[in-house]
Amino acid sequence: MRARPVAASLAVLGYIIMIVPILFVVVTAFSAGRTLRFPPQGFSLTWFEAAVTYDPFMESLVSSLYLAAGATVLALLLGVPATIAIHRGKIPGKGLIEGLFLSPLIVPELVVGLALYQQLMIGLGLDNLSTLLLGHTALLLPYAVRVTGASLALADPAVEEAARGLGAGPVRAFLTVTLPLLRPGLFSAALLGFVTSFNNVPLSLLLQDREFRTLPVTMLDYVQQSYNPRIAAMATLILAATVVVAVIAERTVGFARIFGGINQ
Amino acid sequence: MSPAAEFIGVTQRFGDFTAVDAIDLEIPEGKLTTLLGPSGCGKTTSLRMLAGYSRPTSGTIRIHGVDSTTLPPEKRGLGMVFQSYALFPHLTVAENVGYGLKLRKLPRAAVQQKVEETLELVGLAHLHKSKPKKLSGGQQQRVALARAIAIRPRLLLLDEPLSNLDARLRVQMRTELRRIQAETGLTVVLVTHDQDEALEMSDLMVLMRGGKIMQTGTPREVFSRPANRFVADFLGYENFLTDQTHTFSTVRPEHLILGAASDGSAALRLDATVVSTAYRGVDLLVTLDAVDGAGETVRLLADVRAGDGAGLTPGTRTTVSAAAAHLVPIAA
Ligand SMILES: Nc1ncnc2c1ncn2[C@@H]1O[C@H](COP(=O)(O)OP(=O)(O)OP(=O)(O)O)[C@@H](O)[C@H]1O
Ligand SMILES: [Mg+2]
Repeated sequence: MRARPVAASLAVLGYIIMIVPILFVVVTAFSAGRTLRFPPQGFSLTWFEAAVTYDPFMESLVSSLYLAAGATVLALLLGVPATIAIHRGKIPGKGLIEGLFLSPLIVPELVVGLALYQQLMIGLGLDNLSTLLLGHTALLLPYAVRVTGASLALADPAVEEAARGLGAGPVRAFLTVTLPLLRPGLFSAALLGFVTSFNNVPLSLLLQDREFRTLPVTMLDYVQQSYNPRIAAMATLILAATVVVAVIAERTVGFARIFGGINQ
Repeated sequence: MSPAAEFIGVTQRFGDFTAVDAIDLEIPEGKLTTLLGPSGCGKTTSLRMLAGYSRPTSGTIRIHGVDSTTLPPEKRGLGMVFQSYALFPHLTVAENVGYGLKLRKLPRAAVQQKVEETLELVGLAHLHKSKPKKLSGGQQQRVALARAIAIRPRLLLLDEPLSNLDARLRVQMRTELRRIQAETGLTVVLVTHDQDEALEMSDLMVLMRGGKIMQTGTPREVFSRPANRFVADFLGYENFLTDQTHTFSTVRPEHLILGAASDGSAALRLDATVVSTAYRGVDLLVTLDAVDGAGETVRLLADVRAGDGAGLTPGTRTTVSAAAAHLVPIAA
């Protein structure tokens, strides 16, 4: 491979810009001092204990996990059949339909949030939880459509036809052949969707209320009031969990396939 | 015997493009029929209509005498080998081959026995536990074949089954496919764009162009008596001539004789000038200019033994001739 010094330096710079701030957070989390400061004063695990015993964090963590799981399942239930219809069906205006499913990617989330707030909560009188769930589902739909669509596009349509020719009806051919081939795509879509929902701030910020708050929003509130390493410890825990999930994903499906899916 | 399948006035349009144009064709029972023609002539489209993967815009498809035009593929009981093989990547070789048998609700032991028999037939018994990805192209092709044969199909349809194999294997597999066809007595329809393959393998050859059938016949009939210029061209006739009576005829390069062959039996005799020669080891390809019976200058190609053409250089004047048996009259 030919050396490309400019590209290589930019890549290294990119990594530094991304990783250095994260390292600061991780290091401060182990501080023994009372304020969020670098370099940290001493070493202790007290702030981790403080984080996991802090009720607002733990309650909102559970809320966030439920919300992410619920929105992911809903987005897949809506998005996967839509993707299959778009890719394999003989429907007119495929491009338009796909565009509609992908649009949450480009419409600013605050706008989506505001629209949902006005229409669903004020207009229809839906509660926060349902509105948040719907909002997050819309947010994740592009992932469901794009990632499963990519693995569907890679799959040879003749494989399903082969099953039909051997005597399987359309439903059986789908269940025994197409669905197993889509599994890595579904897994990737679910993973990305889950992480996206879990990390989302703008939508959750607009649609929250006192009963139901997500973890990122709670953490945001927290930094505005108290400036101590508890927040760094919580962030580090989330980071650790994300790394674990990423490693599992890499082992089972592989990043090339997950992210290859998005870049299609 | 009634035909295994019939196309009756079958047309397939995609938008305003006609991929298959009102074809009539009978597929004989127990024989190997090839659909031969250049890329885009509608071979795959015809095969897919026969298999039930696409519905004709108009016309009728009969299988064993029964109108099956709108029957879905799973009700046709045909075996199809796709050009991409389309193996089930998540299943083992044995499970691939057993897929159709399981759907037929055979007892497990019967499925297993049938799978083994079929893998034996294609010479893959030792690989039954492998996943398709681990196999070579040739092996995958055999699995696809076994999977299609295992269900005892009423017709076996093969879409360019050999085109993804390397040259040597491709030639081997021609014989192999013929053997399997003979052993099973299956009716086979094979799509190819390789005329050697079609000539070697077919009982019946169907030549297509632009969605239409140009000629149907045994390889001997089609090769020695091409019906028109397209068929002749496609089968390697290079020389096209018109005589005084405006009859068209064609000669293969290897049947053009250069120099004095003046025993009077020649049906064609023209004065010609050598334009260029190309040495190819065994033979020498000579390009010539001549004036044909209609007074037109024609470019001719003669394939002579390398030794016979030793003295030929560009500008050499010579005569070309051909025996009556080799001068084939064709439609314009
Ligand atoms: N689903 C489709 N939609 C539109 N056009 C199509 C479709 N399927 C085939 N065609 C067109 O119909 C023509 C015939 O296609 P077909 O696949 O039957 O050709 P073929 O003889 O099998 O060629 P090849 O040797 O390249 O496989 C081509 O011009 C192709 O582009
Ligand atoms: Mg084709």
